[in-house]
Amino acid sequence: MTISQKTASSPESQPRISRRTLLKGSAAVALGAAALSSVRGMAGEQSASSTSSTPPVKGKVIDCHAHLNHHSRPTWEADDRKLIEAADKLGIDQLCCSTLTSHWPATLDGFRECNQWTAEGMRRFSGRVLGYCYVNPGYGREALEEIRRYVGDHGFMGVKLYNEYNCTEPVVFPIVELTIELGIPILHHASHSHYFVEDQPRLTDSGNLAELARRYPEAMLICAHFSGGGDWEWTIKAARHAPNLMLDTSGSVTDDGSVDLAVAVVGADRVVFGCDSSMTAGVGKIRGAELSIQDKAKILGGNMIRLLRRRKS
Amino acid sequence: MIDVNAYLGHFAFRRLRHNTAESLLALMDAKKIDKAVVSSVSAITYRNAQAGNEEVAAETSGHRDRLIPFAVINPFYAGWQDDLKICHEDFGMTGLHLYPKWHNYSFSSPCCRELINAATERGMVISIPIRVEDNRERSWLLNIPDIPLEEIVELVKAFPKSRFLLLNGLDYVRSPLGRKNNGLPSNYAVELSRLSAVLANELGQLITNLGADRMMFGTGMPFNYPDPALIKLDVLDASEPDKEKIRSQNAAAWLRL
Repeated sequence: MTISQKTASSPESQPRISRRTLLKGSAAVALGAAALSSVRGMAGEQSASSTSSTPPVKGKVIDCHAHLNHHSRPTWEADDRKLIEAADKLGIDQLCCSTLTSHWPATLDGFRECNQWTAEGMRRFSGRVLGYCYVNPGYGREALEEIRRYVGDHGFMGVKLYNEYNCTEPVVFPIVELTIELGIPILHHASHSHYFVEDQPRLTDSGNLAELARRYPEAMLICAHFSGGGDWEWTIKAARHAPNLMLDTSGSVTDDGSVDLAVAVVGADRVVFGCDSSMTAGVGKIRGAELSIQDKAKILGGNMIRLLRRRKS
Repeated sequence: MIDVNAYLGHFAFRRLRHNTAESLLALMDAKKIDKAVVSSVSAITYRNAQAGNEEVAAETSGHRDRLIPFAVINPFYAGWQDDLKICHEDFGMTGLHLYPKWHNYSFSSPCCRELINAATERGMVISIPIRVEDNRERSWLLNIPDIPLEEIVELVKAFPKSRFLLLNGLDYVRSPLGRKNNGLPSNYAVELSRLSAVLANELGQLITNLGADRMMFGTGMPFNYPDPALIKLDVLDASEPDKEKIRSQNAAAWLRL
């Protein structure tokens, strides 16, 4: 099968996207092709031709929304490896990963084994995989203990919440309060469609997250895949007045202008790069956005680093 | 580099950038795309699609070295035979797009069959966007589904002499369309804008199953950022001759450039 042939080829022979190339295209459309050649020095790569007007950008490229594979999948180990290989090809330094249960709502045993697998993934891909602790808030005390254990003992960097509850339901509040105490972000699954999503009756949207953000101004909330399926213009506009709510760029939808609008409305400091397994889409959206190199650098990693530095333990 | 999946005009439900000939050409310059097949976005929702074709014909005049106009024909609208003739003979459109879900007809309807036969007699390429936009983005006004690949299977079987270009699709490998030795005529090609090139790597699987001769580069601009499609070719683990086929040679052959 083609896939196994691909993974068998040597890393050196595989085509890759350099970090510099990842930012290539910045402001290119507005400024024309000449701008392309002036975009130099990216993510720590010092270019001899860098000028004061295009300073080299240092920093990691961090995918804020990634997943390791559930171990019920027969190919989970190879698929996890492929994720890292894809990150290598695309110039992504680190991936913030959770492992999700195969059925929802997640059971206590279900999310516990997932977090254990995420911790194992962090060890297998040391330095590449950062861990989100995935919990179902409905498990109350056990969910809080799970977060404390995996953040404290295993170095997880944040909490992942899915669609078991809408984020404005009180059952979610103790989770938010704990993340404030620990100084870690929450990545919350979200989407806004103009119809009722029957298989996700408690689906959160950015308006709900903005409400939660206003209730807890110290929380660090990330609205997952703002353009990953749904009305992204609505999603961006509803997030505008919640300064502690970030927008994650991940997802398969590659609508032109989506990242540009997010930056125009909420500012580059509140947009974070992600793929959610749509790897070339994730990277391509950032490369294609008509933004300054500085703004792209913030989105690609700077903003996530800023969040991670707020950890209190 | 030839993009077989680009558009001009206005979309009813979202503002598009780079949707004039001038701005699209500037984007193509920035992305090093030499030529693009363009068709009318407006004709997707205009009742009289021919008005959109007239706009595209006017917009591309003077840029025919780079912009290759395709028609949008609705075979259930009065005068489509005249429109097809005008688009082909007067506007120089060498292909057409079909939107059966947006225009509310089925491939098996007599009118559609008549259109496909007429276009085939003229040697025109028949492009079929599997979707226009992600259905989850849809307006409260309407719900237009993607075209099921099963319908495409029946279509390519029913018209073995026609040439079909499938745009904005994925999951071909789960359908007979993307399988090796599928018993289907090799009268269709697949555009890559929604195919994965890493992880599941559907693009690589299709090259193995159908051959690089059946794959074509396309971006979906200005609906989409062009960069995701460009990056797929960059990271694709394929030979340079195969990549060159996908970048331009296959499209040039189909479009007789």
